Amino acid sequence: MTDTAHLVTRLPNDIGGLEAGKIERTDHTLEPWEKRCHALADVLDFHKILNTEEKRCGVEALGAEMVGKLSYYERWIVAFSNILFRKGILTPTEVALKMQEIEKRWDAQADGPERVI
Amino acid sequence: MSGQHNDDHGHDHDHPHAEVGATGRPGYYDMLETAVRELLIEKKYFSAGEIRRQIEVLDSRTTALGGKVVAKAWADPEFKKRLLANGRAACEELGISFYDDTQLIVLENTDRVHNLIVCTLCSCYPRPVLGLPPDWYKAKPYRARAVSEPRAVLAEFGTTIPDAVEVRVHDSTAMVRYLVLPMRPAGTDGFTEAQLAELVTRDAMIGVIPANNPEGARV
Repeated sequence: MTDTAHLVTRLPNDIGGLEAGKIERTDHTLEPWEKRCHALADVLDFHKILNTEEKRCGVEALGAEMVGKLSYYERWIVAFSNILFRKGILTPTEVALKMQEIEKRWDAQADGPERVI
Repeated sequence: MSGQHNDDHGHDHDHPHAEVGATGRPGYYDMLETAVRELLIEKKYFSAGEIRRQIEVLDSRTTALGGKVVAKAWADPEFKKRLLANGRAACEELGISFYDDTQLIVLENTDRVHNLIVCTLCSCYPRPVLGLPPDWYKAKPYRARAVSEPRAVLAEFGTTIPDAVEVRVHDSTAMVRYLVLPMRPAGTDGFTEAQLAELVTRDAMIGVIPANNPEGARV
């Protein structure tokens, strides 16, 4: 084995059986955007746009650094975006412009925008 | 039950999170989610109402549903047979809808076999009957170790399984989910299904602890 072989034989999600630390019984109440992200995933699945395995694979495709540093739903929304780009459903430019619009919308209202959801 | 809640987001790394709270301004990932959702709605892939509806569905799924299934199986041997034969169909019998395409395999704990569920690759979990998984279920230590040293993992939850009892670990997939049917605690003869359901915890249905005994339930 070379010192890089483990990168080939173990993709980032494939951690079953590896050594790891003590189990800390962590949990948290989902933030509103995290819950919306979960609902978005389910609705995309209902419409046959994105299934569970594509989601998992999309997270893995983020690479070890992002998988390691982003939180669970952060990984999800980035993976969904990439998959939607690849499928030609959205473009990075559209998303960037929409994010600017959302930011402006927020800044335009002193108390913050009315949340749609 | 752990009952613990803190700010850990289910991953074992120290890093700053998107800004939340102080200004109320949405963070990067919050805005990304909003952008993707709004664009897809504008393009008519789905409606805003569908997202709202699904949030309600997610909110409606709690451990109590799983508890109801387990209590019914303890109280009704015919239901238990159907549950072990086809988990999804038996849950649907109780009015628990499966909003996804997953199948459910229910694993019965006995005095000879103890079952434990995990998803080594990510976070697959019997969401229709238990709701969303706790963060520790999605984090590396549980996913990595449950398959290689289940008894050590169980010990960290305070559960000791006698050596004579076989421990079986079930690794969930995108299409097949598992639910543990814990052993019915002693001293529960004559309990109603509602009383039995109170003894069933999320962690018992994951298989990391047994069902509560009757004394525990009154705490």
